[in-house]
Amino acid sequence: MKHTRSRRLFLYLAAIFVLISVGTKDTLADPPSAIGVVQKAAGAVIILRQEETLSAKIGLEIYQNDTLRTGPDGSIGVAFNDDTLLSLGPESVLVIDEYVFAPGQGKYSLVVRMLKGTAAYLSGLISKLAPESARFKTPTASVGIRGTKFVARVEGDL
Amino acid sequence: MRLLRTILVSWIFFCFLAGCATHREAATHQEKRDLIVLLPEAGGKTGVVTVTTQGGSQVLYKARYAVEIEAIHQPPTAPSPMEEEEIDDVFGPALSALPDPANRFISFILYFEHDTTALTPESKALLAEVLKTIRSLESDEVYVMGHTDLVGTEGYNIRLSSRRANSVRDLFVSGGIKADTVFVSFYGKTRPLVPTEDEIPEPRNRRVEVFLR
Repeated sequence: MKHTRSRRLFLYLAAIFVLISVGTKDTLADPPSAIGVVQKAAGAVIILRQEETLSAKIGLEIYQNDTLRTGPDGSIGVAFNDDTLLSLGPESVLVIDEYVFAPGQGKYSLVVRMLKGTAAYLSGLISKLAPESARFKTPTASVGIRGTKFVARVEGDL
Repeated sequence: MRLLRTILVSWIFFCFLAGCATHREAATHQEKRDLIVLLPEAGGKTGVVTVTTQGGSQVLYKARYAVEIEAIHQPPTAPSPMEEEEIDDVFGPALSALPDPANRFISFILYFEHDTTALTPESKALLAEVLKTIRSLESDEVYVMGHTDLVGTEGYNIRLSSRRANSVRDLFVSGGIKADTVFVSFYGKTRPLVPTEDEIPEPRNRRVEVFLR
C-alpha cells in the first residue's frame, strides 16, 4: 500500500516535471526562424549573434537581433523574407532590432539601427503592407520609409 | 583652508572637463554629419522617406535629394540635390552590395469600374494571366491589397477597398488557388497610386494590387 502510494507520488512528480519541461521548451526554446539570407558578401564581414561571431558567406541565414559588421574592405547584401533588401559598405555596423513578417497573423515590423558606416536600403512588402512599421534608425535620426530606395551614412565612432 | 583648496581643485577639474566637452562638440559639428539620400528605384519610380530627429523632421520625395543631420536635437537640414558622382563616391560599395531586385515579388495591378467591384475589361483579361502565374509558380504567398480613389468618405472607401480585395480573393479561390495562401489587406483612399486632391475621380487609383512569389 505504502509502496503504491510512493509510486503514485513519483508518477505525479514525473508528470509535473514533463509538463514543466514542455512548458519551458515552448516559451524559451521556441525555435527562432531565419528572417533573411546573405546574398552578397565581400571582404571581411562578420555577423554577431548572441555570443557567436560568424563570418558572413553567401547563403548564411540572418536572425532577429543579429549585428552585421564590415571591415575596411568589406561589404554585405541581405535579402529579408519580405524582400526588403539591405546592404552595407566598408567599416559599417548595423543591428537588426526587430523583424516580424507574419502575414497569417497580420503582424509586420522592421526596425534596423545603424551605428556607423554606409548602407543602402530598398523596401519590400512590409513597407507596402504596413508602412508605419518599417523604421531605419541612426544615432541621430529615425527614417520612416514609404516604399522606396535610399542610402544612409552614419559618422559613428565605434 | 583645506576646504578652499578642495573647492579650487574641483573647480579646475570641472573647467577641464567642460573644456574638453565643448572642444569635442565643436569638432563633432565639423566632422560628423549623418546623411540620408533618396534614390530612384529601378523602374524610375521614387518613393518617400521622412527623416525625424528630436529637433524636427524633413520629407524627401525627389530623387537624389539629401538631408544632413548634425545632431540629434537639431532638425535635419532642408533637402538639397546631390550629384550622382558624389553619391557614387560615398555609397558605391554599399550600392553594389545591394542584392538583385529582380528576384523579388512579382506584382500585378487589377483596375475596377467606378464605385464597384467589377473589373475593367483589360483587367478581366489580365486576371487569367495572374492565375496562370500563381499556378505555374506554385505560389503559396499571394498578397491582395485593395484601394480606392479619393471620391467619398474614408469609411465608405475602406469598405469599398475591402470588397474589392475580397472579390479578387474569391476570384482566385474559384480559380483553384488555395484560400490559405491568399492574404488580403485593404487601405481605402489612404494610398493612391496617383496622388490627387480629395474627391477627384481617378481610374488608376481604383485598384487591387497583387504580389506573389
